[in-house]
Amino acid sequence: MNTNSLWKDAFFRLTKDKLAVASLVIVLAYFIIAILSSLGLIASGWSQEVGASNLAPSIDHFFGTDIFGRSVIMKVIRGTQVAMSVGVAASLIAIPIGVTLGALAGYFGGWVDDFVTWLYTTFSSVPNIMLLISITLILGKGIFSVYVALGLTSWVHLCRLIRGEVLKHREREYVQAAAAIGGGHLRKLFRHILPNVSHIIIINTSMQFQVAIKSEVILSYLGLGVQGEPSWGTMIDDAKLELVRGVWWQLAGATLAMFFILLALNILGDALRDALDPKLKGK
Amino acid sequence: MTPTSLLSVRDLVVEFQTGEGIVRAVNNVSFDIPLGKTIGIVGESGSGKSVTSLAVMGLLQKPAARIPQGEIYFNGQDLLKYNEDQMRSIRGNQISMIFQEPMTSLNPVFKVGEQIAEALRIHKRLSAKEAWEKAIHLMNQVGIPNPSVSAHKYPHEMSGGQKQRVMIAMAISCEPQLLIADEPTTALDVTIQKQVLELLHKLQQEYKMSMMFITHDLGVIGDIADDVVVMYRSNVVEKNTSNNIFMGANHPYTKGLLACRPKLGANPRRLLTVSDFMTEEGQEKIVLPERIQIFDKEMVEDKSEKVLLEVQDLVTQFPIKGGFFGRTVDNFKAVDGVSFKLKKGKTLGLVGESGCGKTTLGRSILRLIEPAAGKIIFDGKDITNVNHEELRQLRKKMQIIFQDPYSSLNPRMTIADILTEPLKIHNEGGSNSQRIDMARELIEKVGLKSNQMNRYPHEFSGGQRQRICIARALMLRPEFVICDESVSALDVSIQAQVLNLLLDLQEEFGLTYIFISHDLSVVNFIADEVGVMYAGKIIEMDKASRIYKSAKEEYTRALLSAIPKGETKNSSGLMV
Repeated sequence: MNTNSLWKDAFFRLTKDKLAVASLVIVLAYFIIAILSSLGLIASGWSQEVGASNLAPSIDHFFGTDIFGRSVIMKVIRGTQVAMSVGVAASLIAIPIGVTLGALAGYFGGWVDDFVTWLYTTFSSVPNIMLLISITLILGKGIFSVYVALGLTSWVHLCRLIRGEVLKHREREYVQAAAAIGGGHLRKLFRHILPNVSHIIIINTSMQFQVAIKSEVILSYLGLGVQGEPSWGTMIDDAKLELVRGVWWQLAGATLAMFFILLALNILGDALRDALDPKLKGK
Repeated sequence: MTPTSLLSVRDLVVEFQTGEGIVRAVNNVSFDIPLGKTIGIVGESGSGKSVTSLAVMGLLQKPAARIPQGEIYFNGQDLLKYNEDQMRSIRGNQISMIFQEPMTSLNPVFKVGEQIAEALRIHKRLSAKEAWEKAIHLMNQVGIPNPSVSAHKYPHEMSGGQKQRVMIAMAISCEPQLLIADEPTTALDVTIQKQVLELLHKLQQEYKMSMMFITHDLGVIGDIADDVVVMYRSNVVEKNTSNNIFMGANHPYTKGLLACRPKLGANPRRLLTVSDFMTEEGQEKIVLPERIQIFDKEMVEDKSEKVLLEVQDLVTQFPIKGGFFGRTVDNFKAVDGVSFKLKKGKTLGLVGESGCGKTTLGRSILRLIEPAAGKIIFDGKDITNVNHEELRQLRKKMQIIFQDPYSSLNPRMTIADILTEPLKIHNEGGSNSQRIDMARELIEKVGLKSNQMNRYPHEFSGGQRQRICIARALMLRPEFVICDESVSALDVSIQAQVLNLLLDLQEEFGLTYIFISHDLSVVNFIADEVGVMYAGKIIEMDKASRIYKSAKEEYTRALLSAIPKGETKNSSGLMV
C-alpha cells in the first residue's frame, strides 16, 4: 500500500467515479466563467443592445435577446457570476460561525452547549425565507445583503453536524491519549478533533452551496436581491410576463444554467460523502 | 465426502478484488464436520478463518469476493450451486451463526424476545403468540434468569454475557444442524467466557448439533472442540483431533500458538512466540533451550525500596442523574476507597471483570478523571490537587497505553507526527529533526521499521498500532506507565510479543507499571503484585505467585478457574 493521506486517498476514489469527475468539471467551469466575468473579460457588454427586441435564439444570439435587445447569454453569464459569488460569500460567513459554535458546544458541553443549542434551535424554528426577507429588509436591498442574509441562515445545519461529530470524537481514546501526554483544550480540539471532522465541512459546503444559489434566485425573483445587475432570479421574474407572448428563451437560459450547476453540486456532494466517509472506505 | 459428514469443504478458494489487485484469502482449504461433532478453526486475524465461515453461510460480499474453485457440501448438496433464495431457506434454519460482538449484533430498537421470535416466525411459520412462548422457553434454556420478564427488555438493558446468550438463543431457535460460532467469547470477560462455552457445549449435546467454532485462541478450543483445524496465512497448516493437537502438535505454527498463551503457573522469563518455532518463511526452527527455561520472579532479589506511587483511600464517583430536570440524585462510586503502594521498577496488576472500576482507578491516578476523595502520592509528592500547569509537567512522568489500538491513534496524523507531538507539547527534544531522530530510535526499539514513519495508522495491523502507542507513551521517558487492557484486543500470538516488549522496555528504562486486565493469566505473567478488584474495591492483594497458589477470596478463585487451561477435558495438557 502506498503511503497516502486520507485526503489523497479520498481524491483518488473520487477520480474513479466518472459522474463525480464530470460534476467536478462542471462546477470548476462555472467558477472559471464567474471569475472571467468578474474580471470583465467576458460578458462585459451585457448591458448593450446587440440586436432587436426579443429576438428568438439564432446562430448570432444563442439564447436570443431580451426586451431591450440585450444578449440573453451574456446575462446568463453575469447571473452565473452573481450566483457563484453568493455561494462563496455565504460559505465564507457560514463555515466559521458553524464550525466554531459547533466545535465549542460539542467539546465543552455544559452551559456552552446549552447556549449554542438554544441559538440554533431558535434560528431553525423561524422559516428560512422569512429570516432571509427580514435580514434583507433591515440591511437594505442589494448583493451585500444577500451575502449576509444567506451566510447568517446557513450556518445552522453545519453547526449541528459539527457539534454531534465533536461530541462523538471527544470521547475517543486518541483524544484522551492527547490529554495524557499533556495536551491542552486547544490542542485537543484543533489539532486532533477538527481534522477528523473536517470532511463534514466539505460535504456540507457542497450541499449548502446549492441552497445558497437557489435562495439567491428566490430573493432576486421577489425583488429583494441584486439590483441593477442581471441574476437568474430577475431573469425568471422578467420571463414570467414574456412567456404569454411566446418569449421563452430568457427563462430557458436562466433555468438551464441553474439546472446544470445544481445537478453537478448534488452529484458532487454525494460523491464527496462516499469518498470522504471513512466507514465506506474500501467498499 | 464421508457419509457421516454433515458439512464437507473441499479445496475451497476465496479471492477478493481490492484496489491493489486480487488477494487470496482462503487457499485450497478442505475439512469435514461430522454429525454431532464440534470442530475448532484456529488462526490469527487475517488467516482466512472468518472468510471460510462466511463462504459456508453464503454471506460473502459480492462482487468483491469470488470463489473460483471448491465445493461446500452440506447434507450432500453443494451449497455453492444454490441460488440466493435456496441459501436463505438454509441460513438461520439449518445453518445458523453467532457473531463476535453481542453489542452490535442485536437490533437496539426491538425487545430481545421479539428478536428471538422473529426467526421462528420466518422459518417455522409459528404464530406471534407461539413464537413468543417458544422464545421464552429458549431464553430459559440458555440460562437467562427470569425469562418471561427478560424477554421484554431491550438489548441495552442487558449485560454483554446476557446479550451473547440471547444471540445463542436466536441461533438455536430453529434447531439448526450446524451452528457456526465466530469468536463468540472474544469480547467477553473470562468468567462469562467460561459460562458461554459451557452453555454451547451443553446445547450442542442436547440438540445433537454440529458446531464450527472459530477463534484465535487455542486455549478455549480444548474445552469445546473434538477436532481442530489450524489456519495460517489462508492455508490449513494442521488438522487433527484436539487431543492430538494438545498432546503433540506437528506444525511449528500450532506449537507456537500453544506456547504463547501465558500459563497460570510458572512461565519462562519471556513468553514464547510463534517466531521461536518458525522462521518468517514458514520453516521449522529449533527452540532455544534458554527460551523455555522457567523463570521464578521470587528468585530475583528485591533491590528497589523506593515507593514511587502511593494511593490512599481513593474514591471516584459519577453522578446519577434523575428527575425531570436531570438533577444529580445520587453518586455511583466507581472506585471506592482504594489504597496501595507501588515500588519503583515493579508492576502492579489489577484484575477484575468489566465494570469493577479498574479502568476508572487507572484514569483517576493520572487525573484524567478527577477523584472525589483520597490521596495520590507520586514520587513523594501529593498530586491529588496540583494545578493545571503542574499537572501538565507531571504528564511527562506518567503515561498511559490504552486498550483499543484502533481508536487511540489519531487517523489524520502520520506516525512521525504522533510520536513527536508529546515532545512538542512539552517543548523538549530540540529541533524538529532531532525530535524525529528520537522517534526513529524508539520506533525501532518497539520493533517497527523507521522507514514507516510517514505512514498513517490505518496502514498498520492491530499489534503494530499497539507498538506505536507504546512508543508514544515512552517518548517523554516516563517513570510510570499505566497499561489499560493494552493487550486485550490483540490475538494471543501478538499478545505474547507485546507482553515481552513491555518487559524488555521495563528492564531497559526501569519503568514502573500498573497493568490492568481482566485476564489473570496475563497479569500473573507480567505483574509482581496483583490486586483483585470487585465493585470498586481491591478485595485481595498479594504477590502474583501467591494469588495463584492460594487465593483467599472466593471471587479470586472463580476468576482463576475461568481461565482456559489450554488443554482438553481428558488430556493433562502437556505443552511444548
